[in-house]
Amino acid sequence: MDMLDADVCVVGAGAGGAVVAAELAEGGARVVVLEQGPRHDPDGFTARPPEMLARLYRDACQTATVGAPPILLPLGRGLGGTTLVNSGTCFRTPPHVLERWAAEFGLELDVATLRPCFERVEQALSVTEVTPELAGANAAVALRGAERLGWSHGYLRRNARGCVGSGVCVFGCPTSAKQHTGITYIPRAGAAGARIVTGADVQEILVEGGRARGVSARLADGHRLDVRAPEVVVACGTIHTPLLLARSGLEDPSGQRGRNLALHPATSAFALMDEEVDMARGVPQSAYVDEFASEGFMFEGAAGPPAYAAMVLPLTGARHTRAMADYRRLAQFGLMVSDESRGRVRAVAGRPLIRYDLGARDLHKFRAGLARMEELFLAAGAREVYLPLARGVRPEHARVRDLKLMAFHPLGTARADARATHGVTDGDLALHVAAGVHVADGSVVPSALGVNPQLTIMALATRLAFHLLGRAVPERQPDLEESACPS
Amino acid sequence: MSAGAGVERFLAAAPWPQRLGLRVLLALVRRPRGAALLSRAPLAEQAAWSVLALGRYDDPQLGRALGWDAAAVAARGLALRRAEGRP
Repeated sequence: MDMLDADVCVVGAGAGGAVVAAELAEGGARVVVLEQGPRHDPDGFTARPPEMLARLYRDACQTATVGAPPILLPLGRGLGGTTLVNSGTCFRTPPHVLERWAAEFGLELDVATLRPCFERVEQALSVTEVTPELAGANAAVALRGAERLGWSHGYLRRNARGCVGSGVCVFGCPTSAKQHTGITYIPRAGAAGARIVTGADVQEILVEGGRARGVSARLADGHRLDVRAPEVVVACGTIHTPLLLARSGLEDPSGQRGRNLALHPATSAFALMDEEVDMARGVPQSAYVDEFASEGFMFEGAAGPPAYAAMVLPLTGARHTRAMADYRRLAQFGLMVSDESRGRVRAVAGRPLIRYDLGARDLHKFRAGLARMEELFLAAGAREVYLPLARGVRPEHARVRDLKLMAFHPLGTARADARATHGVTDGDLALHVAAGVHVADGSVVPSALGVNPQLTIMALATRLAFHLLGRAVPERQPDLEESACPS
Repeated sequence: MSAGAGVERFLAAAPWPQRLGLRVLLALVRRPRGAALLSRAPLAEQAAWSVLALGRYDDPQLGRALGWDAAAVAARGLALRRAEGRP
């Protein structure tokens, strides 16, 4: 058995863990980071979807929920976590969501409190708005439709630097333009002295007398590694964090561990245009339409190379073949629902079983969203629109089983709540039941956000790191622009 | 890597229930009677087509015919990273 000593052991190197590790290490703490996945070499990013799905995603991108309907839940694996394979979209937490958190969960996380955290993260990740040139023709189609309909829309802000619009953000950025945490915060952590261990599968958080003592992990070669540390930051992601907490024997008086799973269920539609779109030329997720954000759904760009488009195109048989023959004239856009349905994660035979059933209110949002999506494409001049519904089903008559859904933003399974009877973690992201155990990933986010969550997770992680250091988050450096929020 | 090899790797890396399920669906969708059977279960039919199409359109030659050259995208990335010292 190998043994390491640290002030803080961070479990997971994704959006939350990498940020905490870098800030703590740069603040002078001795940090060990244990990441289950590998370090990915961008020289091996081939821009070919099947190969990249197998290499960069947990379970080869085939993690799925059980329920009605089943929902595919892509999760990244390796240094960078899901930030390695997401689209790079950056939204701050909407103010109305923070107000809800204060009222419902007793969290003192207002706009002013989080502002320096967001600014710090945005600067570290080079967050800027996509330019129209880089957005490409696919975004132009949707924005033209929104313009003609008078719907609120805009270009997204992303964590990218030197992007040339390779069109494969979710298959590993071949230019390393996307500033995922594996090439930003993790190198910073390493440079500041943090020990980064990949291939480390953490089995248990060690707790004695109600206080963290470290963690025990199994390495890829089968050896056991124990890290002795008085502070443990769990950042395994929304699906795996509650499982680690449970198998560590930690109590859960709230009964909320593994529950409250929100997903932002999503889908996408295609349209056959007259013009050449070449959807993979440009930033796939570069624009948004937030006209209906207050109704609980939003449109965001989606696009990719032929193999990707063929995989998600909601057609079969000869219709699929005909549509793909016109791939160069296909446009795609995504629909994301801010869900009120809630699911649950628990371990079965050591693996997560994710139960999630789409509720009636969210079904209504999908019906409305798909009808609006069709309207958007038709306004943009589409010859045909391919909605993700069973053949012959109109949006207004869609049933849950007719929907073809994916979800990219699992949240809430170790939710923060000031009350130990209602939440797994407190407002400072400390576990209610054990001193020195903290959580810094999407699992602490107590409700759906309605926007992509990576910036929220990173801002909360920044706040946690400085809390552990006993310092205020430094104020902003010059030259930062304001971040976009949906209306 | 051939298109078929990419999908094989994709399937091999999946958890066994998904791997087994997708292999069965692929076997069905490739046969006329199986495809007819699948047409009665739209979600299963879509899943089968998704994997089938993922492999088919990963073919570099077909990709180039549709305006997409994965090798060129990867090569440009490599050249940019080398030239600008990106990670």
